[in-house]
Amino acid sequence: MLHQYRVRGWTYAVVAVVGLLVLVPFAWMVATALMSPGQTLLVPPKVIPDPATLDGARGVFNRIPYLTLLGNTVVASIGRVIGTLVICTLAAYALAVIKVPGARVILVTVLALIMVPGDIFVVPNFAIISAFGLTDTLVALFLPSIFDVFGVFLLYQFFRGIPRELVEAARMDGASHLRIMTTIVVPIARGGLITLAILTVLAEWKELLWPIVVNRSIDKLTLGPGIALLRGSYTTDYNVLMSAGVLAALPMILIFLVLQKRFIASVARSGLK
Amino acid sequence: MTNLTLRRPEGVADGLRRPAVRRKLARRDTRIGFLFLLPLFAGLLVFRFYGFGYNVWLSFNKAGAFGRARFTGLDNYERLFSDSQLRIALVNTFKFTAIVVPGVVVVSLLCATLMQYRFRGQSAFRAIVFLPAVCLPTAAILLFGWLFQTRYGLINAIIQAAGGSSVSWFGSSAGVTVVITVIVVFLSFSVPTIILYAGMQEISSDIYEAATIDGAGSVRRFFSLTLPLLSPSLFFVVLTTTIGTLKLFDVAYVLLPPEQSASVNFGLTAVYYYYQLAFLNVGDRGYASAVSLLLFVLILAVSIVLFRLQRRFVHYGEDG
Repeated sequence: MLHQYRVRGWTYAVVAVVGLLVLVPFAWMVATALMSPGQTLLVPPKVIPDPATLDGARGVFNRIPYLTLLGNTVVASIGRVIGTLVICTLAAYALAVIKVPGARVILVTVLALIMVPGDIFVVPNFAIISAFGLTDTLVALFLPSIFDVFGVFLLYQFFRGIPRELVEAARMDGASHLRIMTTIVVPIARGGLITLAILTVLAEWKELLWPIVVNRSIDKLTLGPGIALLRGSYTTDYNVLMSAGVLAALPMILIFLVLQKRFIASVARSGLK
Repeated sequence: MTNLTLRRPEGVADGLRRPAVRRKLARRDTRIGFLFLLPLFAGLLVFRFYGFGYNVWLSFNKAGAFGRARFTGLDNYERLFSDSQLRIALVNTFKFTAIVVPGVVVVSLLCATLMQYRFRGQSAFRAIVFLPAVCLPTAAILLFGWLFQTRYGLINAIIQAAGGSSVSWFGSSAGVTVVITVIVVFLSFSVPTIILYAGMQEISSDIYEAATIDGAGSVRRFFSLTLPLLSPSLFFVVLTTTIGTLKLFDVAYVLLPPEQSASVNFGLTAVYYYYQLAFLNVGDRGYASAVSLLLFVLILAVSIVLFRLQRRFVHYGEDG
């Protein structure tokens, strides 16, 4: 019921300006991707590629192992999501449902760790991963991030809302905690787990510093750092650079267009107060 | 799992009434609870606590990528004060944050307000606003590098078409600052928009009606009602954007490769400098650790200041 917001002419104008400011850069990326190198170097630039060519995309496949990078990104994302969900669900269940002694202290510690910018310490994490002999592996990409204190807190909030009677009744029926967790708590708090999964995928998608530090060979990198390698050495081939951008950005944009509502709802829930 | 499952349900219910059985069950619950917490604790112990301790230890040593670390006392910390490169990185980082945070707040407030209106194409508008959040940052950064390209870039072409003269965006500190802040705002305004929009949804329309009846115009309503009632969400947005920008790395790294030494200092951020110290060439990891600890303390200090300010400026409802 937001009737106080009446749509006026200027609303459309502002909406159009904002929308164009977001879309025009993307359109320019696609246009450049379809140009030949010569067409990208015209002054003033021509907006429509004529004739359109896929040379840029071919250049991408020649210079970087695009499909390997894409596969690595998928594997790292799935690994990170599964790891995060398992660890956070177990921990949040212990804190919110079992309520282990000292749960409050643990929760305060978790909250404090959320506030502490520990993720800037790349050097020690690299040393630890090296000690495990895991550098240049896909596991190294996501292992340090699955112990996600934010995820614990998020799921804790969801699990806390589950009626106690439901769990008590299952206990009386002789169900084990593992069983209660998988058959009662997780289905009821499904929304929370989906939220955490989406936020985790988006976080993995944006990683750059950690992958380039821990994995030096390009076969073990994800898309973001992989296409970053194209810069510098091929600065003049803008059609190749933009093709790489389109090819790399497209998978997540497609997933987003399908799961739009879930993405937006998940992000709205990340604003924990 | 437990022998409980073998008993008949009624028996368990009877048993639960007896204190001794109950205590035993509670003890078992506790054991299972800590078992469930074990993976989290183990991971945090290794990657957060041991990692932090190792980082502190390393900061008192001279250590490269190879060979053994050598204890050098406070040398690394003394170096922090005389390192002009570090000063550049910190000044840049705080400068970017000071520009990006207000930029993100203004843009996301505007977009969240626009989302409140009912017009045709609203759902498309929401998707468009969210697009930068799902776009691969590297792709967007390469794209903006191309848009701001001095000779062939679209932005200079537009400036020239409008009668201006083309700008060498990467040739000056101010130019790089503009490019970096535009990219960071573009990449990070979507999530705040959604959070502020969700916050606006929670404000009851009764309050607006009352204010309208009392004669408050839409501008007045925005500043006297929306902003104060939205302040918890706004605080969250300011906090996360500030911390995120203080940790900025990807934009500087993709836009300004280390080999372009001419312009790299214009956009050098603290984390980028930390990365260069630790992982480029032979590495200077002892000193890099000291730099990261300084950054860690600075980010914590900024967060604490923001939390202090929150008490004064943020309005929470009576029910908390």
